[in-house]
Amino acid sequence: MSDYLDWRVEDFPYQTRIETRWGDNDMLGHLNNVAYNRMIETVVVRFTMGPLAIDWQTARAYPLVVESLCRFHRPLAFPETITAGLRAGRLGGSSVTYEIGLFGEGNEVPGATGHFIHVFIDRDSQKSVQIPDDIRAGIQADAIKG
Amino acid sequence: MSKPQAETRDDYGYFLDLQSRWMDNDLYGHVNNVTYYSYFDTVVNYFLIEKGGLDIHAAPVIGVVIESHCNYARPVAYPDLIACGLRVGHLGNSSDRYEVGIFRNDEAEAAAAGHFVHVFVNRADNTPVPIPAPIRTALEAIQRSAPA
Repeated sequence: MSDYLDWRVEDFPYQTRIETRWGDNDMLGHLNNVAYNRMIETVVVRFTMGPLAIDWQTARAYPLVVESLCRFHRPLAFPETITAGLRAGRLGGSSVTYEIGLFGEGNEVPGATGHFIHVFIDRDSQKSVQIPDDIRAGIQADAIKG
Repeated sequence: MSKPQAETRDDYGYFLDLQSRWMDNDLYGHVNNVTYYSYFDTVVNYFLIEKGGLDIHAAPVIGVVIESHCNYARPVAYPDLIACGLRVGHLGNSSDRYEVGIFRNDEAEAAAAGHFVHVFVNRADNTPVPIPAPIRTALEAIQRSAPA
């Protein structure tokens, strides 16, 4: 488990800041587990819409999540603003595994780490397809440390 | 990438039916991936309350999540009825692993399957403690290993 605690925000080539909301906390006084998973989804979606410029509603090959995971290391809580970091782990033919770190304010140790696996699906056939070349190049350029 | 197993209802010892809601669907017209985790923590806590006598407001010992995971095999969508199957895999001294299957309406095979790990801690100081006896008894009743 300890190696995940060694992840640092500077290890992630793509970062985004996510505001927490009152309703994200549960009755234990910190973010509910679902809210962490929502932030993992949010950093992935921002990366696909920003650097990868994927239009989710019209792209011929669109990404679909097939697996997600979150490890909860230390509590995050409203009203913190979270820095979410993303990098590409495994980059396969039709799928990519994004590794994610969620960092609370003033903490170099991640509050949570996890991953999110996208498979690219052809909109017409609904079958998995090779990751389009421009998207693959974007992942390599913006989600993998050179 | 681990493939979701084709798990069936027989693989789970406890069920809770949830009515999906309009807001559970996302732009793709299916229940959003993150919403599955809301189903997970609903069935887990309902089980602890109903079968383990957990008082979520006053219990001195509570379960906190340290890991959650889901494999998405096929979509579910509002207005489906969601049958959440629950079993316990690993049962340790202060932690346990719940395994959850998400079934769409009357379907026999799970549309998604995942897990959820709780550590039981003192509410006052967050230190891990042994799982309280009534909860352990409830967990043992639905403990089984994953299907081969």
